[in-house]
Amino acid sequence: MQILLNLLIILAIVSWAVVIIVRTFRKVKVGGKCAACEYDCAAKRLKNQHDQALMKH
Amino acid sequence: MTSIALIGNPNTGKTTLFNSLTDKYAVVGNWTGVTVDKKVGTLKHSAIQVVDLPGAYSLNPLTKDEAVVAKYLLNDQPDLILNITNASQLKRNLLLTIEVLERGLPLILILNMIDDLRRSGQSYDLVLISQRLGCKVLTTNARGHQGIKELRQQIINYQEVPAPQLRLNYPPMLQQAIRQAAEALEADFNYSPAVARWLAIQFIDQNKAIREYAAVHQLTPLTSQVRYYDAQQFADQIYNTRLAFIEDLLHDAEQHAAQGDSSQLTGKIDKVVTNPILGLPIFAGIFYLMFKLSFEWVGTPLSDALDWFLSVPVSNTVDHWLLQLGAMAPLRSLIVNGLIAGVGGVLAFIPQIFTLFACISLLEDSGYMARAALVTDRLMQMIGLNGKSFIPLIIGFGCNVTGIMAARTIEQPKERLVTTLIMPFMSCSARLPIYGLVVAAFFPHHQALVVLSIYFLGIVVALLVAKLYQVLFQVKERSVFIIELPEYHLPRFDVIWHGTWDKGKGFIKKAGTIIFAGTVLIWLLSSFGPTGFVTDSTRSFAAALGRGLVPFFRPLGIVQWQAISALFTGILAKEVITSSMMVMFHTSSKAVLIAALGQFMNPVAAYSLLAFVLLYIPCFATLATIKEETGSFKWVLFAVVSGLTIAYCTSFLIFQIGSLIF
Repeated sequence: MQILLNLLIILAIVSWAVVIIVRTFRKVKVGGKCAACEYDCAAKRLKNQHDQALMKH
Repeated sequence: MTSIALIGNPNTGKTTLFNSLTDKYAVVGNWTGVTVDKKVGTLKHSAIQVVDLPGAYSLNPLTKDEAVVAKYLLNDQPDLILNITNASQLKRNLLLTIEVLERGLPLILILNMIDDLRRSGQSYDLVLISQRLGCKVLTTNARGHQGIKELRQQIINYQEVPAPQLRLNYPPMLQQAIRQAAEALEADFNYSPAVARWLAIQFIDQNKAIREYAAVHQLTPLTSQVRYYDAQQFADQIYNTRLAFIEDLLHDAEQHAAQGDSSQLTGKIDKVVTNPILGLPIFAGIFYLMFKLSFEWVGTPLSDALDWFLSVPVSNTVDHWLLQLGAMAPLRSLIVNGLIAGVGGVLAFIPQIFTLFACISLLEDSGYMARAALVTDRLMQMIGLNGKSFIPLIIGFGCNVTGIMAARTIEQPKERLVTTLIMPFMSCSARLPIYGLVVAAFFPHHQALVVLSIYFLGIVVALLVAKLYQVLFQVKERSVFIIELPEYHLPRFDVIWHGTWDKGKGFIKKAGTIIFAGTVLIWLLSSFGPTGFVTDSTRSFAAALGRGLVPFFRPLGIVQWQAISALFTGILAKEVITSSMMVMFHTSSKAVLIAALGQFMNPVAAYSLLAFVLLYIPCFATLATIKEETGSFKWVLFAVVSGLTIAYCTSFLIFQIGSLIF
């Protein structure tokens, strides 16, 4: 049981890392520019806010 | 939805005003080219949308930025325009004002940085300016939050702001051409009188965006006359009429007093810092001081304390708990030697990185960066670029991605391409942890000097490569470089704090995302081998990969498989190189890793490694941005191959020549 629990935790951490890598690559590939940049500057926040507002309209 | 547009020349404090008016904080820089695309916010306590357009000197677009402004005025109908001007530079700023007033939209003219004007001992008769231009005039000092309340009130009552169309006394032939074209546009294309007249003036004035628009929409009253307009040199007449109008206006409205101290002080400082001989050494000296603060005086002691905290109490406590809870060796290894060592190892460099960002924010806010661009312009001219490329390159010191995006301000496509391709040679902040690690291990008494030399190595390589590309791509046309030198300001704490936090928080965020993921990846590679889970990493996949490439890296002095394998993960993000080293050396302590590195390398090889990290393949986020901005995979491949080749050759020369000397 303990072995299984250990393995499950390791698997969860590794899977999460894989998800992050895949998600980051996909985000960069699709979005480019701002999406490629990990730095969450205020300009990017405003852009996202504006995009969301446009989507609502 | 009600929308207000902020329009003005670069460096008039538009972004600062935008921040004061809206709920959200946007990036502020005391130098040209900070706003590279339009930004949108909401006026505090209201539903009014505020649009911050990029700085432009004229509606006739020279750059992609200026095209944003012209297209906005053409396609959008803002309820109010706030035309922000630098009160001390009205002669040039009003040229744009006239173009916007001719559009016939409600406009408030804002004389910003009014405190600078007063300090210089000048003032203007605002009533006279308002009468002649036919619009409201307000004064503000956005940095000091003066005049903001009144401006806010005017914005809320935007419906009361008149929208008269300014009509200048152009020469009779020109007047006639404008009238005829405008009447035809009204009759045949149903444009309103104001828009028709503005379109006619802008078309005759050779506005590229408007001429493109006229061609697309087949506005024959304009397109059929294009040769006549240009042959009559109407564009020159328009400019001369506008300039004469402004000179008359300012002559009549100007009120002199004694010259202020601040203006004199700025002049005195500029005589020294922009001096053709002293300018560059002062620039280098300021950067040296910055690295001294970050890597020796302030950053390193704090970083060492944080490193101790993470590697001793945190690491030991977590390991103890895991043992108590019955965790097996692989899980303990993943959490302690993987995550805490890798992610914690990178986080330990936060004090150094934040100190450096604070210094850069301070320089930006003080007004020195504009001088740095001016000083380097001479150097850039020598290699065929100009100071306009310097600004994106300096932004690239923070992050190459934002640097490449800032290169949009360069109007000549080939010049922009060259700047984009040399951007990865600018040492972005993600490389700082590996620099910090290596200089602490091999150059403990000259940390600032070595980091400074690496930054300058990046600049020198970038300039040499730029010169080569200039020849290869046959760049002939040059961009126009205009930069305003704002008066020096006493830096404001909140601006520096926001600047530092905006730049630095991305680093912390990355620790939880891509650095974490990269660390897990390298842990897997260094903990598993052909035989399964291994406690001895020398039998792992990472070791096999690194050892296989040792012959390739040996001429550079890099012979440990750990360093070679770590370089691969750097393509995910450069910070991951440091976390990979921590994981592969099985330590969560920077001090232990420093001692371990010292056993395998000499200082020359260490410097060669630093040069390789500086110049080799950019991270994938940068590659994606190169693809987006150039629109071609060809240039992405070019960046990868050229980066690798240049890095290899440079490191080879450093190690081989260095080994002969030392």
